[in-house]
Amino acid sequence: MIPLPTGLVLRVIIGAVLAGFTCSMMGTFVVQMDISSIGFSMAHAAFAGAALGLLLSVEPLLTAVGFAVLVAILLGPVSEKARLSPGVITGVSFSVTMALGFIFINLHPGPAETGAALSILWGSVFALTWHDLILLFLLSIGIVIIIGLFKKEFMAIIFDRKMAKASGISTRPFYFTILFLTGLTVAFSLKFVGGLLVYALIVNTAASANQYTYDIKEVFILSPIIGVICTLLGVWISLQFGFPVGTSIVIVTAVVFVFSVVFSKKRKKGKGLLDISGRSGEYGNRK
Amino acid sequence: MSCIELNNVTTIYEGEEFPTIRNIDLKIDKGEFVCVMGPNGAGKTTLLESVNGLLDHTNGDVTVLGKDVEKRGTDVRKEIGYLLQSFTFSTEDPFLVEDVVMMGRAGRIGLIKSPGEEDWEKVYDCMDLVGIAEFAKKPIGKLSGGEQQKVLLARVLAKEPEILLLDEPFSDLDLKAKEELQELIEQIFERRGLTTLMVTHDLGSVPRVSSKIVLMNGGEIVLEGNPQEVIESQTWKSVYGFSLGG
Repeated sequence: MIPLPTGLVLRVIIGAVLAGFTCSMMGTFVVQMDISSIGFSMAHAAFAGAALGLLLSVEPLLTAVGFAVLVAILLGPVSEKARLSPGVITGVSFSVTMALGFIFINLHPGPAETGAALSILWGSVFALTWHDLILLFLLSIGIVIIIGLFKKEFMAIIFDRKMAKASGISTRPFYFTILFLTGLTVAFSLKFVGGLLVYALIVNTAASANQYTYDIKEVFILSPIIGVICTLLGVWISLQFGFPVGTSIVIVTAVVFVFSVVFSKKRKKGKGLLDISGRSGEYGNRK
Repeated sequence: MSCIELNNVTTIYEGEEFPTIRNIDLKIDKGEFVCVMGPNGAGKTTLLESVNGLLDHTNGDVTVLGKDVEKRGTDVRKEIGYLLQSFTFSTEDPFLVEDVVMMGRAGRIGLIKSPGEEDWEKVYDCMDLVGIAEFAKKPIGKLSGGEQQKVLLARVLAKEPEILLLDEPFSDLDLKAKEELQELIEQIFERRGLTTLMVTHDLGSVPRVSSKIVLMNGGEIVLEGNPQEVIESQTWKSVYGFSLGG
């Protein structure tokens, strides 16, 4: 294991907890609303933004946030208005932002800068500063407050946007808030997990949580727990074996997902399923 | 004063050249049960979604409960219960029945506020009414098609609407489920007296409480009147190719 100063280890652990928490929390929206392609594009836009920031010697986080939010703003209304499938729109956006990202990396003057730029692709335990952690912490708090305040509106929108609108909810601001927060989450976690892989942390953990319960409220609790465990395990593997942190985290989330699918009660026949679908009186009235 | 009023309404979908509904004039009084009928593509669903403002109309005026739908769509939708056509759920969907029904009240409860005891009582009353209270804590995807449709009907009723819009509520249901739901809709209408606009293309599913049939074809209302008159008319015969009249 690589010997590291205590301060750095602390930063890494806090970073892992915060990135795991925010990514998997927003992942619940992304997975349930089936908007993976939109978030996927945002991740790559954030990567291109960070690469541009390094090229221009501007704080990469700022440009990453700018690009991710810009794509969120563009994709929200575009996917609503355009008579194209979101897959097509995001496919174009994905390829363009990836191309831009690699052009920006290619334009870097020296190997040191190129190395820094590449760390945005794969993530680095050394890249996180206290400043980044404070921003990630504030984002986590913000997400929890926003979800807590508008819980019932978000639940209705996750269930079905059209039905939510028909129920008298102004769905558009909430939908755009989800896109905006996903963009921020991606950008803020970029240095740590890496632009190519941050999205796997978002999707895999939420998809894993979905395997264990039929109650969306429990998914929102389980998903961050799985996210934090996965990122901490990934960091440990990264430090132990010298792998890039992003790849380690993603491999862990993928293993957890496969495990969750295999052992999911939703796929088991027999008692587990009968307990859920039985017509007995165990589900008594609330009254 | 009419509860629902459409004056010369035309709706063209984005990117389409021709209107899906055109020059629609329709008045529905409070407490009426009206069936909208017509073949596939007649514009029935478009008409419903123009009424509750889910779809922006291109021309004309839609007024519901005295409010202009174009300007006050969200307010209007809080008073309308809309049962959408053909909804199916995955067996893995993580949504419990009681939560789905509560979602119907979200617009009425208001922003930031959490559902209170009274809201839960209303939700359980609605589940009792449609006969799904025993499924309250089950995932919606585990219920049969008929039971799921009842959950969505309970969700619509939970918001305590003044108007019900039902879009093909019996499609994809087997005969037994269809009869049960049909009876339920009639009971709800008789008990609560909700102004109801129901789209159907099946003559057998027109409830006996219907006061009027609006017959649509090619995006236009071609006839409206009491059910017996409409189904015995020549217009009905020309639209459907058969007549039940002499």
